[in-house]
Amino acid sequence: MKLDPRTKFYMILIVSAVVMLSATTPFLWGLKIAMTLIPIILLIIEKKYTSAFGFAFLYIAALVLTFAFLSEESTGLFKSLLIGYSGIVVQFLPCFITAWYVIRTTKIDEFMSAMQKMKVPDGIAISLAVVMRFFPTIKEEYASISDAMKMRGIALGGGNAAKMIEYRMIPLLFSCVNIGDELSAAAITRGLGGKVKRTSVAELRLRLVDWLLITAFTAVAVIFVVYKYFL
Amino acid sequence: MSSETGSNKLKAKDFITVGIFTAIILVVEFACGMLGYIHPFIVASYVIMIPLVGAIPMMLFYTKVQKFGMITIMSILIAIMMFVLGMGFLGAPLIIIAGVIADLIAKSGKYKSFKKTMLSYGVFCLWICANYFPVIVTAESYRQDLIDEGYSAEYCNNLFLAINYKTIGILLILCFVFGCLGALIGKAVVKKHFEKAGIV
Repeated sequence: MKLDPRTKFYMILIVSAVVMLSATTPFLWGLKIAMTLIPIILLIIEKKYTSAFGFAFLYIAALVLTFAFLSEESTGLFKSLLIGYSGIVVQFLPCFITAWYVIRTTKIDEFMSAMQKMKVPDGIAISLAVVMRFFPTIKEEYASISDAMKMRGIALGGGNAAKMIEYRMIPLLFSCVNIGDELSAAAITRGLGGKVKRTSVAELRLRLVDWLLITAFTAVAVIFVVYKYFL
Repeated sequence: MSSETGSNKLKAKDFITVGIFTAIILVVEFACGMLGYIHPFIVASYVIMIPLVGAIPMMLFYTKVQKFGMITIMSILIAIMMFVLGMGFLGAPLIIIAGVIADLIAKSGKYKSFKKTMLSYGVFCLWICANYFPVIVTAESYRQDLIDEGYSAEYCNNLFLAINYKTIGILLILCFVFGCLGALIGKAVVKKHFEKAGIV
Protein backbone atom coordinates (compact mmCIF):
# COMPACT_ATOMS: atom_id res chain seq x y z
CA MET A 1 0.00 0.00 0.00
CA LYS A 2 1.36 3.36 -0.95
CA LEU A 3 0.47 6.48 0.94
CA ASP A 4 0.97 9.99 -0.29
CA PRO A 5 3.81 11.70 1.62
CA ARG A 6 1.44 14.56 2.41
CA THR A 7 -0.77 12.15 4.35
CA LYS A 8 2.29 11.02 6.26
CA PHE A 9 3.24 14.59 7.15
CA TYR A 10 -0.29 15.18 8.34
CA MET A 11 -0.05 12.07 10.51
CA ILE A 12 3.14 13.38 12.09
CA LEU A 13 1.53 16.76 12.68
CA ILE A 14 -1.50 15.32 14.47
CA VAL A 15 0.41 12.72 16.49
CA SER A 16 2.96 15.30 17.67
CA ALA A 17 0.20 17.70 18.64
CA VAL A 18 -1.88 15.11 20.49
CA VAL A 19 0.99 13.64 22.54
CA MET A 20 1.58 17.09 24.01
CA LEU A 21 -1.88 17.05 25.55
CA SER A 22 -1.97 14.73 28.50
CA ALA A 23 -4.64 12.08 28.74
CA THR A 24 -6.45 12.25 32.06
CA THR A 25 -9.45 9.93 31.65
CA PRO A 26 -9.65 6.30 30.46
CA PHE A 27 -11.48 7.43 27.34
CA LEU A 28 -8.68 9.81 26.37
CA TRP A 29 -6.13 7.08 27.04
CA GLY A 30 -8.05 4.78 24.74
CA LEU A 31 -8.01 7.44 22.06
CA LYS A 32 -4.25 7.89 22.39
CA ILE A 33 -3.64 4.17 22.23
CA ALA A 34 -5.89 3.81 19.18
CA MET A 35 -3.96 6.60 17.50
CA THR A 36 -0.66 4.82 18.22
CA LEU A 37 -2.01 1.59 16.76
CA ILE A 38 -2.45 3.12 13.31
CA PRO A 39 1.26 3.58 12.51
CA ILE A 40 1.99 0.15 14.01
CA ILE A 41 -0.58 -1.43 11.70
CA LEU A 42 0.86 0.52 8.78
CA LEU A 43 4.31 -0.84 9.64
CA ILE A 44 2.90 -4.38 9.62
CA ILE A 45 1.28 -3.77 6.23
CA GLU A 46 4.67 -2.61 4.95
CA LYS A 47 6.12 -5.94 6.19
CA LYS A 48 8.43 -4.28 8.71
CA TYR A 49 7.60 -6.91 11.30
CA THR A 50 10.63 -6.55 13.58
CA SER A 51 10.20 -2.84 14.21
CA ALA A 52 6.39 -3.08 14.38
CA PHE A 53 6.39 -5.78 17.05
CA GLY A 54 9.34 -4.24 18.84
CA PHE A 55 7.52 -0.92 19.15
CA ALA A 56 4.25 -2.62 20.09
CA PHE A 57 5.94 -4.64 22.81
CA LEU A 58 7.74 -1.61 24.23
CA TYR A 59 4.57 0.47 24.21
CA ILE A 60 2.47 -2.21 25.89
CA ALA A 61 5.14 -2.89 28.51
CA ALA A 62 5.39 0.81 29.35
CA LEU A 63 1.59 1.15 29.49
CA VAL A 64 1.23 -1.84 31.81
CA LEU A 65 3.97 -0.53 34.09
CA THR A 66 2.50 2.95 34.21
CA PHE A 67 -0.99 1.69 35.02
CA ALA A 68 0.15 -0.96 37.48
CA PHE A 69 1.81 1.67 39.61
CA LEU A 70 -0.67 4.40 38.81
CA SER A 71 -2.74 4.26 41.99
CA GLU A 72 0.09 3.56 44.39
CA GLU A 73 2.04 6.12 46.32
CA SER A 74 5.26 5.47 44.51
CA THR A 75 8.25 6.81 46.33
CA GLY A 76 11.77 5.47 46.51
CA LEU A 77 14.42 5.75 43.85
CA PHE A 78 13.75 2.55 41.93
CA LYS A 79 10.04 3.03 41.64
CA SER A 80 10.23 6.66 40.64
CA LEU A 81 12.87 5.74 38.07
CA LEU A 82 10.66 3.05 36.64
CA ILE A 83 7.64 5.33 36.57
CA GLY A 84 9.69 8.11 35.01
CA TYR A 85 11.01 5.82 32.29
CA SER A 86 7.76 4.17 31.35
CA GLY A 87 5.96 7.52 31.52
CA ILE A 88 8.39 8.98 29.02
CA VAL A 89 8.11 5.95 26.74
CA VAL A 90 4.33 6.19 26.81
CA GLN A 91 4.56 9.91 26.13
CA PHE A 92 7.00 9.98 23.24
CA LEU A 93 6.79 6.55 21.62
CA PRO A 94 3.77 7.42 19.43
CA CYS A 95 5.86 10.17 17.82
CA PHE A 96 8.85 7.91 17.37
CA ILE A 97 6.78 5.18 15.75
CA THR A 98 5.16 7.61 13.32
CA ALA A 99 8.44 9.31 12.47
CA TRP A 100 10.12 5.92 12.01
CA TYR A 101 7.34 4.76 9.71
CA VAL A 102 7.55 7.92 7.61
CA ILE A 103 11.34 7.84 7.33
CA ARG A 104 11.42 4.16 6.48
CA THR A 105 8.73 4.21 3.81
CA THR A 106 9.17 7.55 2.05
CA LYS A 107 11.51 7.64 -0.90
CA ILE A 108 13.48 10.82 -1.33
CA ASP A 109 12.00 11.64 -4.74
CA GLU A 110 8.46 11.32 -3.36
CA PHE A 111 9.47 13.48 -0.44
CA MET A 112 10.89 16.21 -2.66
CA SER A 113 7.94 16.22 -4.99
CA ALA A 114 5.51 16.43 -2.06
CA MET A 115 7.51 19.33 -0.64
CA GLN A 116 7.36 21.05 -4.00
CA LYS A 117 3.61 20.61 -4.14
CA MET A 118 3.26 22.08 -0.66
CA LYS A 119 5.31 25.09 -1.80
CA VAL A 120 7.99 24.60 0.84
CA PRO A 121 11.09 26.70 0.00
CA ASP A 122 13.79 24.68 -1.76
CA GLY A 123 16.38 25.32 0.95
CA ILE A 124 14.30 23.79 3.70
CA ALA A 125 13.08 20.92 1.53
CA ILE A 126 16.59 19.89 0.44
CA SER A 127 18.05 20.19 3.94
CA LEU A 128 15.17 18.23 5.47
CA ALA A 129 15.54 15.50 2.86
CA VAL A 130 19.23 15.23 3.72
CA VAL A 131 18.48 15.08 7.46
CA MET A 132 15.98 12.26 6.85
CA ARG A 133 18.34 10.32 4.66
CA PHE A 134 21.26 10.83 7.01
CA PHE A 135 20.06 9.17 10.20
CA PRO A 136 20.45 5.63 8.82
CA THR A 137 23.81 6.59 7.29
CA ILE A 138 25.10 7.86 10.64
CA LYS A 139 23.96 4.63 12.27
CA GLU A 140 25.81 2.52 9.69
CA GLU A 141 28.99 4.56 9.90
CA TYR A 142 28.86 4.47 13.66
CA ALA A 143 28.54 0.68 13.65
CA SER A 144 31.62 0.37 11.41
CA ILE A 145 33.59 2.69 13.68
CA SER A 146 32.60 0.67 16.74
CA ASP A 147 33.69 -2.53 15.01
CA ALA A 148 37.05 -1.06 14.08
CA MET A 149 37.55 0.17 17.64
CA LYS A 150 36.70 -3.22 19.09
CA MET A 151 39.16 -4.87 16.78
CA ARG A 152 41.91 -2.61 18.06
CA GLY A 153 40.80 -3.02 21.66
CA ILE A 154 40.15 0.67 22.34
CA ALA A 155 36.37 0.43 22.60
CA LEU A 156 36.30 2.05 26.04
CA GLY A 157 38.97 4.67 25.39
CA GLY A 158 40.70 3.80 28.65
CA GLY A 159 37.67 4.94 30.64
CA ASN A 160 38.30 8.56 29.72
CA ALA A 161 35.04 10.26 28.74
CA ALA A 162 36.66 12.91 26.53
CA LYS A 163 38.67 10.24 24.67
CA MET A 164 35.58 8.07 24.26
CA ILE A 165 33.77 10.95 22.59
CA GLU A 166 36.78 11.98 20.50
CA TYR A 167 37.46 8.47 19.20
CA ARG A 168 33.88 8.16 17.98
CA MET A 169 33.09 11.67 16.87
CA ILE A 170 36.16 12.41 14.72
CA PRO A 171 35.97 9.40 12.39
CA LEU A 172 32.22 9.92 12.15
CA LEU A 173 32.69 13.54 11.08
CA PHE A 174 35.35 12.53 8.54
CA SER A 175 33.07 10.05 6.84
CA CYS A 176 30.05 12.36 7.02
CA VAL A 177 31.95 15.18 5.31
CA ASN A 178 33.04 12.83 2.55
CA ILE A 179 29.56 11.41 2.08
CA GLY A 180 28.26 14.97 1.96
CA ASP A 181 30.58 15.83 -0.92
CA GLU A 182 29.45 12.75 -2.84
CA LEU A 183 25.83 13.58 -2.10
CA SER A 184 26.17 17.13 -3.45
CA ALA A 185 27.82 15.86 -6.60
CA ALA A 186 25.00 13.37 -7.10
CA ALA A 187 22.33 15.98 -6.36
CA ILE A 188 23.76 18.54 -8.78
CA THR A 189 23.92 15.88 -11.48
CA ARG A 190 20.18 15.46 -11.03
CA GLY A 191 19.55 19.13 -11.47
CA LEU A 192 19.02 20.14 -7.87
CA GLY A 193 19.58 23.84 -7.40
CA GLY A 194 18.97 24.65 -11.04
CA LYS A 195 16.83 27.61 -12.01
CA VAL A 196 14.08 25.72 -13.80
CA LYS A 197 11.16 24.06 -12.06
CA ARG A 198 11.98 20.42 -11.54
CA THR A 199 9.67 17.63 -12.59
CA SER A 200 9.39 14.34 -10.80
CA VAL A 201 8.97 10.72 -11.79
CA ALA A 202 6.89 10.09 -8.68
CA GLU A 203 3.27 10.93 -9.46
CA LEU A 204 1.57 12.12 -6.31
CA ARG A 205 -2.15 11.71 -5.88
CA LEU A 206 -4.35 11.56 -2.80
CA ARG A 207 -6.15 8.21 -2.99
CA LEU A 208 -9.06 6.88 -0.99
CA VAL A 209 -6.77 5.44 1.72
CA ASP A 210 -5.15 8.84 2.14
CA TRP A 211 -8.48 10.58 2.63
CA LEU A 212 -9.60 7.88 5.08
CA LEU A 213 -6.46 8.29 7.16
CA ILE A 214 -6.65 12.07 7.07
CA THR A 215 -10.26 11.90 8.26
CA ALA A 216 -9.38 9.41 10.99
CA PHE A 217 -6.54 11.54 12.36
CA THR A 218 -8.56 14.73 12.21
CA ALA A 219 -11.35 12.99 14.09
CA VAL A 220 -8.92 11.79 16.78
CA ALA A 221 -7.53 15.29 17.26
CA VAL A 222 -10.96 16.96 17.39
CA ILE A 223 -12.50 14.41 19.76
CA PHE A 224 -9.45 14.58 22.01
CA VAL A 225 -9.56 18.35 22.33
CA VAL A 226 -13.34 18.46 22.77
CA TYR A 227 -13.39 15.79 25.48
CA LYS A 228 -10.42 17.23 27.34
CA TYR A 229 -11.39 20.88 27.39
CA PHE A 230 -15.11 21.16 26.76
CA LEU A 231 -16.69 18.20 28.51
CA MET B 1 34.25 27.14 -2.19
CA SER B 2 36.52 30.10 -2.93
CA SER B 3 35.10 30.54 -6.41
CA GLU B 4 31.58 30.75 -4.99
CA THR B 5 32.13 33.39 -2.34
CA GLY B 6 31.32 36.08 -4.87
CA SER B 7 27.62 35.33 -4.85
CA ASN B 8 25.62 35.47 -1.65
CA LYS B 9 22.92 33.05 -2.69
CA LEU B 10 22.84 29.69 -1.06
CA LYS B 11 23.41 26.75 -3.38
CA ALA B 12 22.31 23.13 -3.27
CA LYS B 13 25.68 22.16 -1.83
CA ASP B 14 25.17 24.52 1.11
CA PHE B 15 21.74 23.09 1.84
CA ILE B 16 23.20 19.58 1.87
CA THR B 17 25.94 20.66 4.28
CA VAL B 18 23.30 22.16 6.57
CA GLY B 19 21.28 18.94 6.44
CA ILE B 20 24.24 16.74 7.32
CA PHE B 21 25.36 18.79 10.28
CA THR B 22 21.80 19.18 11.57
CA ALA B 23 21.49 15.39 11.55
CA ILE B 24 24.73 15.06 13.53
CA ILE B 25 23.65 17.70 16.09
CA LEU B 26 20.32 15.93 16.55
CA VAL B 27 22.09 12.62 17.14
CA VAL B 28 24.20 14.34 19.83
CA GLU B 29 21.02 15.71 21.37
CA PHE B 30 19.33 12.29 21.43
CA ALA B 31 22.41 10.59 22.87
CA CYS B 32 22.49 13.11 25.73
CA GLY B 33 18.70 12.95 26.03
CA MET B 34 18.79 9.22 26.71
CA LEU B 35 20.98 9.88 29.76
CA GLY B 36 18.55 12.51 30.99
CA TYR B 37 15.75 10.04 31.54
CA ILE B 38 17.64 8.59 34.50
CA HIS B 39 17.00 11.48 36.86
CA PRO B 40 15.48 14.97 36.54
CA PHE B 41 18.73 16.61 37.62
CA ILE B 42 20.47 15.16 34.58
CA VAL B 43 17.82 16.81 32.43
CA ALA B 44 19.08 20.11 33.81
CA SER B 45 22.66 19.21 32.95
CA TYR B 46 21.85 19.11 29.21
CA VAL B 47 22.98 22.72 29.22
CA ILE B 48 26.51 21.50 29.96
CA MET B 49 26.69 18.28 27.99
CA ILE B 50 25.17 19.26 24.68
CA PRO B 51 27.16 22.51 24.13
CA LEU B 52 30.43 20.72 24.90
CA VAL B 53 29.86 17.62 22.79
CA GLY B 54 28.03 19.45 20.02
CA ALA B 55 30.87 21.96 19.72
CA ILE B 56 33.04 19.58 17.68
CA PRO B 57 30.65 19.16 14.75
CA MET B 58 29.52 22.78 15.02
CA MET B 59 33.04 24.18 14.78
CA LEU B 60 33.58 22.07 11.69
CA PHE B 61 30.27 23.39 10.39
CA TYR B 62 31.31 27.00 11.01
CA THR B 63 34.39 26.49 8.83
CA LYS B 64 32.00 25.62 5.99
CA VAL B 65 29.61 28.52 6.55
CA GLN B 66 30.32 31.40 4.21
CA LYS B 67 26.93 32.93 3.59
CA PHE B 68 24.04 34.24 5.59
CA GLY B 69 21.22 31.80 6.12
CA MET B 70 22.91 28.50 6.81
CA ILE B 71 22.71 28.76 10.60
CA THR B 72 19.15 30.10 10.34
CA ILE B 73 18.05 27.13 8.24
CA MET B 74 19.71 24.80 10.72
CA SER B 75 17.68 26.28 13.56
CA ILE B 76 14.47 25.96 11.55
CA LEU B 77 15.26 22.32 10.88
CA ILE B 78 15.95 21.68 14.56
CA ALA B 79 12.62 23.32 15.44
CA ILE B 80 10.80 21.10 12.93
CA MET B 81 12.48 17.93 14.18
CA MET B 82 11.77 18.82 17.82
CA PHE B 83 8.11 19.19 16.94
CA VAL B 84 8.05 15.91 15.04
CA LEU B 85 9.56 14.11 18.02
CA GLY B 86 6.91 15.37 20.41
CA MET B 87 8.60 18.31 22.14
CA GLY B 88 5.87 20.66 21.04
CA PHE B 89 6.07 24.02 19.34
CA LEU B 90 6.50 26.19 22.44
CA GLY B 91 10.27 26.12 22.05
CA ALA B 92 10.28 26.84 18.30
CA PRO B 93 10.44 30.67 18.58
CA LEU B 94 13.42 30.47 20.93
CA ILE B 95 15.25 28.04 18.65
CA ILE B 96 14.72 30.12 15.54
CA ILE B 97 15.49 33.46 17.21
CA ALA B 98 18.70 32.00 18.66
CA GLY B 99 19.59 30.73 15.19
CA VAL B 100 18.99 34.07 13.46
CA ILE B 101 20.96 36.04 16.07
CA ALA B 102 23.80 33.52 15.93
CA ASP B 103 23.81 33.87 12.17
CA LEU B 104 23.92 37.68 12.38
CA ILE B 105 26.80 37.61 14.88
CA ALA B 106 28.81 35.24 12.71
CA LYS B 107 28.04 37.39 9.66
CA SER B 108 29.34 40.49 11.41
CA GLY B 109 32.69 38.69 11.66
CA LYS B 110 32.38 37.73 7.97
CA TYR B 111 32.28 34.08 9.13
CA LYS B 112 36.06 34.26 9.65
CA SER B 113 36.68 35.87 13.04
CA PHE B 114 36.98 33.22 15.73
CA LYS B 115 35.81 35.57 18.50
CA LYS B 116 32.55 36.17 16.66
CA THR B 117 32.21 32.44 15.95
CA MET B 118 32.58 31.70 19.64
CA LEU B 119 29.91 34.25 20.58
CA SER B 120 27.68 33.02 17.81
CA TYR B 121 27.94 29.41 18.96
CA GLY B 122 27.22 30.49 22.53
CA VAL B 123 24.00 32.17 21.39
CA PHE B 124 23.11 29.24 19.18
CA CYS B 125 23.36 26.91 22.19
CA LEU B 126 20.45 28.72 23.81
CA TRP B 127 18.17 26.51 21.70
CA ILE B 128 18.83 23.70 24.17
CA CYS B 129 16.67 25.53 26.71
CA ALA B 130 13.73 25.05 24.35
CA ASN B 131 13.70 21.48 25.67
CA TYR B 132 12.55 22.87 29.00
CA PHE B 133 9.79 25.12 27.71
CA PRO B 134 6.88 22.73 28.20
CA VAL B 135 7.99 22.38 31.82
CA ILE B 136 8.23 26.11 32.49
CA VAL B 137 5.55 27.83 30.48
CA THR B 138 2.75 25.54 31.51
CA ALA B 139 4.24 24.73 34.92
CA GLU B 140 1.03 24.62 36.94
CA SER B 141 -1.15 22.59 34.62
CA TYR B 142 1.77 20.46 33.47
CA ARG B 143 2.51 19.45 37.05
CA GLN B 144 -1.11 18.53 37.69
CA ASP B 145 -1.17 16.57 34.45
CA LEU B 146 1.96 14.65 35.39
CA ILE B 147 0.51 13.68 38.74
CA ASP B 148 -2.82 12.73 37.16
CA GLU B 149 -0.92 10.62 34.68
CA GLY B 150 0.73 8.67 37.47
CA TYR B 151 4.15 10.22 37.90
CA SER B 152 5.21 10.12 41.53
CA ALA B 153 5.03 13.36 43.41
CA GLU B 154 8.73 12.95 44.13
CA TYR B 155 9.74 12.89 40.47
CA CYS B 156 7.66 15.99 39.83
CA ASN B 157 9.11 17.82 42.80
CA ASN B 158 12.65 17.11 41.64
CA LEU B 159 11.84 18.09 38.08
CA PHE B 160 10.30 21.39 39.11
CA LEU B 161 13.02 22.01 41.67
CA ALA B 162 15.65 21.81 38.95
CA ILE B 163 13.70 23.54 36.21
CA ASN B 164 11.37 26.46 36.84
CA TYR B 165 11.02 30.06 35.78
CA LYS B 166 13.57 31.11 38.40
CA THR B 167 16.30 28.74 37.27
CA ILE B 168 15.71 29.19 33.55
CA GLY B 169 17.84 32.34 33.61
CA ILE B 170 20.72 30.41 35.12
CA LEU B 171 20.22 27.59 32.63
CA LEU B 172 20.31 30.07 29.73
CA ILE B 173 23.53 31.63 31.04
CA LEU B 174 25.07 28.20 31.54
CA CYS B 175 24.18 27.32 27.95
CA PHE B 176 25.95 30.41 26.71
CA VAL B 177 29.04 29.98 28.92
CA PHE B 178 29.49 26.32 28.08
CA GLY B 179 28.80 27.11 24.45
CA CYS B 180 31.74 29.53 24.40
CA LEU B 181 33.90 27.05 26.32
CA GLY B 182 32.85 24.29 23.95
CA ALA B 183 33.77 26.48 21.00
CA LEU B 184 37.35 26.70 22.30
CA ILE B 185 37.56 22.92 22.70
CA GLY B 186 35.88 22.29 19.37
CA LYS B 187 38.25 24.70 17.64
CA ALA B 188 41.26 22.86 19.13
CA VAL B 189 39.85 19.50 18.04
CA VAL B 190 39.13 20.73 14.53
CA LYS B 191 42.65 22.12 14.29
CA LYS B 192 44.19 18.90 15.61
CA HIS B 193 42.36 16.55 13.29
CA PHE B 194 40.84 18.26 10.30
CA GLU B 195 43.28 21.02 9.40
CA LYS B 196 46.13 18.50 9.33
CA ALA B 197 44.09 16.24 7.10
CA GLY B 198 43.36 19.13 4.78
CA ILE B 199 39.57 18.82 5.01
CA VAL B 200 38.99 22.35 6.26
